[in-house]
Parts: sequence; structure tokens; C-alpha cells
Amino acid sequence: MQTKVVAPAVEPSSEGETSVAVRGVRRAFRGTHREPLVALAGVDLHVGANEVLGVVGPSGCGKSTLLELVAGLQEPDGGSVEVAGRSPAKARRELCAFMPQRDLLLPWRDALGNAALALECQGVPRGEARSRAAPLLERFGLGGFEAARPAQLSGGMRQRVAFMRTLLPGRPVLLLDEPFASLDSITRASMQAWLADALATEPRTVLLVTHDVEEALFLSDRVAVLSARPGRVVQELEVPMPRPRDRRAAVTDPALARLRERALEVLGS
Amino acid sequence: MRRWLPASALLLLFLGAWAWLASLPSVDDLTLASPAEVWGAFGDDRDLLLDNARVTLVEVLLGLAISIVAGVSFAVAMHLSRTLRDATYPLLVASQAVPIVVLAPIFVLAFDYGMGPKLAIVALICFFPITVNVLDGLRSVEQDHLKLMRSFGASRVRTLRSVEVPAALPSFFSGLRVAATVSVIGAVFGEWAGADEGLGRLVLLGNNQLQTPRVYAGVVLLTLMAVALFTLVTLLERLTCPWNRTERTA
Amino acid sequence: MKRTQCLLIPALLLAMAVLAAGCGEKKDTITAGETREMSLLLDYFPNADHAGIYAAQAGGHFRDAGLEVAIRQPADPAAPIKQVVAGRVDLAVSYEPEVLRARDKGLKVVAVAALVREPLTSIVSLPGARIRSPKDLAGKTVGTAGIDYQSAYLRTILKDAGVDPAQVKERNVGFNLTPALLTGKVDAVLGAFWNYEGTELRQKGRKPRIIRVNDAGVPTYDELVLVANEDALDRDGDKIRAFIGALARGTKDLRASPDKGIQGLLEANRDLDPRLQREVVKVTLPLFLPEKGKPFGYQDPREWQEFTRWARQNEIVRKLPDASGAFTNDFLPGSGL
Repeated sequence: MQTKVVAPAVEPSSEGETSVAVRGVRRAFRGTHREPLVALAGVDLHVGANEVLGVVGPSGCGKSTLLELVAGLQEPDGGSVEVAGRSPAKARRELCAFMPQRDLLLPWRDALGNAALALECQGVPRGEARSRAAPLLERFGLGGFEAARPAQLSGGMRQRVAFMRTLLPGRPVLLLDEPFASLDSITRASMQAWLADALATEPRTVLLVTHDVEEALFLSDRVAVLSARPGRVVQELEVPMPRPRDRRAAVTDPALARLRERALEVLGS
Repeated sequence: MRRWLPASALLLLFLGAWAWLASLPSVDDLTLASPAEVWGAFGDDRDLLLDNARVTLVEVLLGLAISIVAGVSFAVAMHLSRTLRDATYPLLVASQAVPIVVLAPIFVLAFDYGMGPKLAIVALICFFPITVNVLDGLRSVEQDHLKLMRSFGASRVRTLRSVEVPAALPSFFSGLRVAATVSVIGAVFGEWAGADEGLGRLVLLGNNQLQTPRVYAGVVLLTLMAVALFTLVTLLERLTCPWNRTERTA
Repeated sequence: MKRTQCLLIPALLLAMAVLAAGCGEKKDTITAGETREMSLLLDYFPNADHAGIYAAQAGGHFRDAGLEVAIRQPADPAAPIKQVVAGRVDLAVSYEPEVLRARDKGLKVVAVAALVREPLTSIVSLPGARIRSPKDLAGKTVGTAGIDYQSAYLRTILKDAGVDPAQVKERNVGFNLTPALLTGKVDAVLGAFWNYEGTELRQKGRKPRIIRVNDAGVPTYDELVLVANEDALDRDGDKIRAFIGALARGTKDLRASPDKGIQGLLEANRDLDPRLQREVVKVTLPLFLPEKGKPFGYQDPREWQEFTRWARQNEIVRKLPDASGAFTNDFLPGSGL
């Protein structure tokens, strides 16, 4: 299994002011007991254009729900969600590229077909979509695996295919839900490095949900810490180091170390 | 090659038991023909048996084709419309409980004598397992996949095409396997309601005319037909759903 | 001396004749005190054609004859002959052509009495088809049950009427003869009974047109016969004789009061329409009973031979030379009714 990934060539550039604004968002679900399950209880977030916001929080704090709200897959019960100043769900969906926690590759499509899926859904003819996806597979270190079926790929390879699928349509906002959670630490490290480089070369507005504080600090401009359910933003941290960051520097830098302490402290309480 | 061994052994055992049973004095040969007598009937009545088998096979294949079209259409329609599903599902279930004896004359009234009633009966018996299985297959698609497609901005048709239908293919073949197996007996019932040709008719008349070896030869042919259809469906599935197989061996 | 001697010989002869007649008088009852079991398999669901049997049962005649008779219904149309040959039942109700066919195959089945001594099979049509005689069948569709000898009846009838068989379309309608006729899918059906389906259609106001097969060129035969296993005749002869005797008495009851007589039948099969059954029994009664001077259940050898000849010509039987051995009148009650 190849672990080396190379930064992709220039892709269609995102448009100007694609910020994400989440104001006072409430979201509750019908719980199993009479009371509703409140996932988010008044969340305020802002992600500037081409900014990377890391979102950390304990399990079940509504991080995934938050992403789906931004992505236009759900509507808030209270408050508002805007992407590039647009609030209709359809508009949000068109601007956001959503990468869920599981790779959700279709077993009946080969790797190339899976990578091309989102493009095809947008109306791009199959042949063209596949040829747009092919160079990306190469660059992600999956050259030679175009015709492989998901069952034949390792977890890390599948996650990479899912990533390609997310990136190919070239949407300005990336919503990543724990994209590296299922990878082993070696692959995770190299994928983080690749993403850091990719975002430096090819800036996008990114909401990165992760349970790994280190990862958030490595990749994000700012980190928002969510409380346990019902979720609220309890802390926002600014990461002063410019991107892309050197791994060793990120780990040893005292300012970052303090931020890490702070975040863990908040999470622990 | 080795996988055929247990089945062959069992078959030989069965033939032996059959031959032994038929040889018992308490079992008269009007009731049970021995394997040797049946083999003889294949020799004597070969043309008769094969000609009638051909007729029944056509009824089976056409009836199955109709049931596939009907079954898949019902399933997709019921999948797309909740109202339709609530309205029609009970009726479809009820359709399976009505005895063929009652339905056959109605079909004859509708289609006149000829292939019509037989195709109708085969289709009636076979569409149901296909409908139920395809519907279940379509509904078994995970919500997460549908959410993902929505996030891509995929149209309803696109989602059906790329996700739901392929996901439902293995279930379709499950249903088709059942349908293929019962299609043969469906054709026989259809012929019993009035036919000029066919193995079902041959078996019925042979029984009335005390031609027991011919009856059993007809039954053997019907059995072979069902097994062949079942095998064909399994082969088709292997060809069209290769990912299913790979998953199991991985 | 000579005078007495002259008288003696006639007296002796008379005594011998009386004795011979007495011996010839076949035993049709079993000594009181014995009860023997007997099984009878019908040819079809209990219906008016079996009225005599059920009248004998209900009137206690089997019991009086020392028999306990179990009446069974067949699982399939071929069961009566099969079960008798296999020795699973003592007696069964079957049809003359099927008896001949079975004997042609070398099966040891014998007809021991005629239950209905003339054909009931007919060509039945509705007025709309405008079939008044066999000649009118030209250009029409006739539904049959796919039974080979019935198709042969049709061929014979057409030949007799001078109709080209190619002008008549024969369709296999399974056993749904009446529905096929009523839905107009066929112009006429062959295989329905004039006493049963004919009466049924008449009672429903359909005005059926009926051509009996024996009126149209088919030699007469016994529609329903009682059959037994040939090898069992020696062993069970007494039983069989007793059975037929009791049956004769039951049929006599039926003739005396038909309404009372069919009670047994109606109880055995509660699905039956009493009005229909009464009417069917009324029109069939003359055929349950023998011709004047003949014993109950008499099977006419000449008729059997003629029918066998017809069966040979039409390839219903291939090897059977004649009717001998296929039937016997040895077990009929001593005197006619």
C-alpha cells in the first residue's frame, strides 16, 4: 500500500467570498423517551473565506449534525445557517462538498467510478467524469487501482477515494467529518500532511470536524471546542502559526502546546 | 468438480431408494413406476415428451419474462410512492392466496384458450417473490448513501440508477430464483385448466390413462426444467453482480 | 307298474329341477351374525348418480346383508381402477371404456354390475349456437375434457353425420365443461351428462340442447359400472353378491319414494342442491333399474361386444380381442326386480 501522496495540480478555483455563518443554531430530534434530544443548543460559528475551522468536541456532541446543517442536508429548528450569504438548503448543498465519516463507496463501482460519482450526479457524462478523476487517482497514490472494487481496497485507500470524490466537483466549501478517523496513524499522518499542502496550494473554506485535538491544531486556522450534548461552542482558539505547518514544529511549538492544554482542559470539564 | 460429489452421491442414493421402493410387492406399479420403467418411457415416448416439454418451456419462459417486468415495475412504483405501496401491498398479498382453480376459468374468460391463461398463471405465481424481494432490496439502501447523493445534488432518477437499483440487484436475483423454481408448477396448473399440449397436460392424461411410466417421465422432465432455470438464474447473478462474490471471498 | 314308472321319471326330473333351481338360486345374504367389512370407492364426489348406493346405506340394507360398507371419494379420476387393481378397495365405481382400457393393459379388473345401464355422455350446447343435430357441428368449436375415448365419441359422431372433422375445432377445456359453455368460449361441450349437467342447465333456465352420444352413432354402453378385482372374485364372491343384492333393495326404496331415498346422499354431501339431485334421480331412475326380465345390474353381452369392437376401431384398446372376461353377471341377484 502506497503511503506517499503528492499534492494535486491546480483545480478549478473557488469563487470569492464563500464564508460560512452559523448563528444561534438549535437542532433537536425526537428522542426515545418523551423528551426531545437536543443536539445543538445555540451554536454560533463563523468561517471566513478560505479559512480552515477545526471543530472538536466529545462524542455525541452534535458535530456531525452541525456539518449536515451547513451542508444543507438538514434545517435548523432555531437560528440560521448561511453559506456565502445564502440560506436556502439547495443553495447550501450546491456550495458545499460534504465528506461523511464513512467512505460510503458503492460496491458495484470501481475506484475510478466511485471517485467520479459526484461529478456524474452533477450531469457530467460518465466518460468525461472518469477521465477527470483518473489523474487524481494517480496523484493520490492509487495508480493501477482504477479498476479495483472497494472490497479489494484497504481502509486507507477507500478513504482516499472518498476524498477524491469530495474534491472533484470543485466546490468552494469543504465539510469534512472526521475524515482520517478510520485510518492507521501512519496513513493518517501522511493524509494530514497532504491536506495541509493541498489547502495551501488550493485554498478552500473548510469545516473540519475531528476528535483529535492535535489534528485540529495542525490543520486549522481556528479551533472551536463544542461542549457535550446539548452542544454549544465553549471555546474558540486562534492558531497563530501560518499554514502549511511543519509537523515537528507544530508538535513542539510552546504556543501550540498551550492551546492543546487549553482545549483538553475545556473538553475535560 | 469436487462440489458436485455430495449432490451426485445423494442423487444416486435417492435413485436406489426409489428403485427399491418400486420393487416392493406392496407398492403396485400403477402407483409408482421404477427408474427402469421411466427410462424405458424416455425411450418409447421420447418425441412425445420432448415436444410437450418444449411447449411448457415456452410458457414458463414467457411467463417469467412477464413476471419480471411486472414485478420490478410494481416494486419500483411502490418504492417511489408510499401511498401506492399502502394501497396495493395488501392486494398483492391477497392475490397469492386465491386458488388457481378459481382463477383459471377467469383467465380463460379474459384471454380465451391458448397461451394466455397459462402465461397469466405463471406470471401471477412468479411476480410476487420478485416484487417483494426487489422492494425490500430498494428499501435496504442505507440512509447515509441517500444523504450523500442528496449532497451531490443528484436527481431522484440518478439516485435510483446509481444507488438503489444496483443495491437491489442481489435481492432481485433472490426473488428470481424462487420465481424460476415455482414457474414450472405454475405452467402445469395453467395447463390443467385446459390445454392442447404441454407436459402438465401429458402428466394429467397419462395419470387418467394409467400410463404411469410416462407420467413419471414427465415429472422428471419438469423437475429438470426447474433445476435448469434455477441454475441459469444463479449464473446470471454471478455475471451481473460480481461485487457480491468478491465481498464474500475477500 | 309302468304307469308309476312313467310318473316317477317326470317326478324325479321335477324334483331335480326344483333342486337345481334351488341350488342355482344364488345366495345373496350372508348368515345372520357375521358382519364383514367392505370398501367402495366412488368415481367422483357423491352425487345423484350414486343415489342407489346411499339409499341402500341409509335404509340399512348393507347392514341387513351382513356388510359394513365404507364409501370413499377418489383423490383423482384414475383412482378407482388403480385402487381395485392394487387390492386397496373391494369395489369401485368406474366407466365401461376405462374397464376395457385397463383390461387391454392386462390389469385384473372386472365389471360386476351395471349401475347406469345406458350412456349419459352427451353433446350439450346452448340455443345460441344453433346446434340441433350433429350435422350442425360443422364450423363450430367443441370443448372436451381431453379424455381420449370422449374425443373418439366426437370423431364417430361427426363421421356418422357426414361432417368433415377438419371443420370442427376441438378444444381441451380441462374439467371445466359447464363454465366453458356458459362463457361462450366454445359452442358445445362433449362429456357433460344429459341427466346431470343437462338438468342443471335446464333448472337455471338456460334451455340446453342435448345430443346423447348413443343417439348419434356411438354404440350403447353402461355409463357407470361396479368393478372388482378379478383375482378376488373367488374369495369375495359372497360379499360382492350380498352387496349388489343390498344395492338392488336400496334402489327399490328409491323408486318407491325418491324424496326419502335421497336423504342419505344429501347427508353424505352437504354441498348438493336437493332440488337438482331430486330431478336428476327422477330422470336417471329408469337406468338404475334393469330392463324387464333382467336381473338388477345386468350387463348386456352383445352391447359389450359391440362397444369393444368400436373401442378397437378407435384405438382405445389395441390388444383386447373382445369383451369376454371384462364383465360378469355371475354376482347379480337371483331374480329381476
